[in-house]
Amino acid sequence: MPGVLPRLAPSPIWRRASVGSRSVAVAEREALGTTARLAIWPPDRLRPALGAVDAEIRTLDLAASRFRPDSEISRVQARADGDVVPISDGLAGVVDVALAAARWTDGLVDPTVGAAIEALGYDRDFVLVDDDDQLPVPTAVPGWRSIGLDGSTLCLPKGLKLDFGATAKGLGADWAAGAAAAATGCGGVLVSLGGDISAGGEAPLGGWPVLIADDHRQTTRLGSLTQVVRLPSGAIATSSTTCRQWRRAGTLLHHIVDPRTGRPATGPWRTVSVAAATCAEANAAATAAIICGHDAADWLAARKLPARLVGHDGTVLTVAGWPSGDGGSLAVPPPRMPRVSRVLAPGGYGERSFR
Amino acid sequence: MDQDYGAGRHRLPGYGDDQDYGGPRSAATTWNSRDQGVRRVRRMSNWTAAALVACVAVTTGYFAHAATVASQQAGSPGTVSTGQPGQPGTTAPGHKSTLTHPVVTSGGSGVTAGNGSSGSGGVGGNGSHGWDN
Repeated sequence: MPGVLPRLAPSPIWRRASVGSRSVAVAEREALGTTARLAIWPPDRLRPALGAVDAEIRTLDLAASRFRPDSEISRVQARADGDVVPISDGLAGVVDVALAAARWTDGLVDPTVGAAIEALGYDRDFVLVDDDDQLPVPTAVPGWRSIGLDGSTLCLPKGLKLDFGATAKGLGADWAAGAAAAATGCGGVLVSLGGDISAGGEAPLGGWPVLIADDHRQTTRLGSLTQVVRLPSGAIATSSTTCRQWRRAGTLLHHIVDPRTGRPATGPWRTVSVAAATCAEANAAATAAIICGHDAADWLAARKLPARLVGHDGTVLTVAGWPSGDGGSLAVPPPRMPRVSRVLAPGGYGERSFR
Repeated sequence: MDQDYGAGRHRLPGYGDDQDYGGPRSAATTWNSRDQGVRRVRRMSNWTAAALVACVAVTTGYFAHAATVASQQAGSPGTVSTGQPGQPGTTAPGHKSTLTHPVVTSGGSGVTAGNGSSGSGGVGGNGSHGWDN
């Protein structure tokens, strides 16, 4: 699990949320630029669970946020010159999962898209992004094979910028759910980081009811645009091009960048939800499906990942056993994405080896 | 009734004496009446004992359940019903049950440019940067 990092911020404020049941407690707060939400039963275990979730979010943010100049990854990138540098266990875990996702998706998701995303304008507050009339020039993506990881050492080429958007929230949800379940010792928890959801412990009877929508802040059903499914274990993650949109020179852009072009993905699907054993895996698969475009359904079916795809015209397609009706239960598959612990890049490690 | 009983036995006054109340009674009649009375008392004792056992069992179960709930509540660091976590509140049931309403939404995250009326907006306040997918 993540290494020990200093506490730099006061404890965040959680708000209670009502879900119409006294057998479960739900609380939420802002975190990582989005919303963190925790559901737990029995409800009197809420306090230790919140503390555990806070610790995991803080660890993730301090280790791997590209928006914090004091984060470990920001400091490592600023000094990067191709040499091997030691990193914390937390950052090593984030990089490990990001590289595993890149390999598993054949590069459809790639952590080296950081510079490309910044070139598109996603490098500052959104209020300022709208003020820029210059159409961005796409930046080539170096590719995940240009970085190396060996245990707790990292090798980054000079100028390379990492973005863990395709895996980090899911990984954080997995960490938080595991820590919260361990802290409570009984019952079950459900942790959402911006709509990427991971379950820990034992689910309520019939599974956790989860609303599937374009936006994780949606709380009410909107006909066929939303669906309620039940999650007995594992995780659900949703990627959508309808969120984090901005305009540059009149062109609507979004944050899901195709590593092959350095531009926002232009496939037929606007929102993809995936159920998987871990949220990091679901997160990576959902983002890969958006980028994959017309082949997304086949890509997901080949990996036997239950998924729900929503087209730009509202067309809904379900694959690999995703329930078609409202209230259906998900059959979460076993882990599909193999982990890596050693990916050696040329240069710093003197060799290149992929398992 | 009250016939063919041995000598030296005396009938106790009680039920069934109406016919010959005040007159001399035979020994057999006396013995029969006493035997029935003893049986009645024995039956009542049995039923009373059974009732007592049942009451003790129910009471023991009740207190055992109450003690379990009390220890669980005492062991938890805090319960929140309204407002901030950590504030005192009412304790909700902790049993495993079926939830009917969604407790969380899986969807894209982030900020939408413009007025945010499309229904797919992101976080409010200062949440302009974040982790996305």
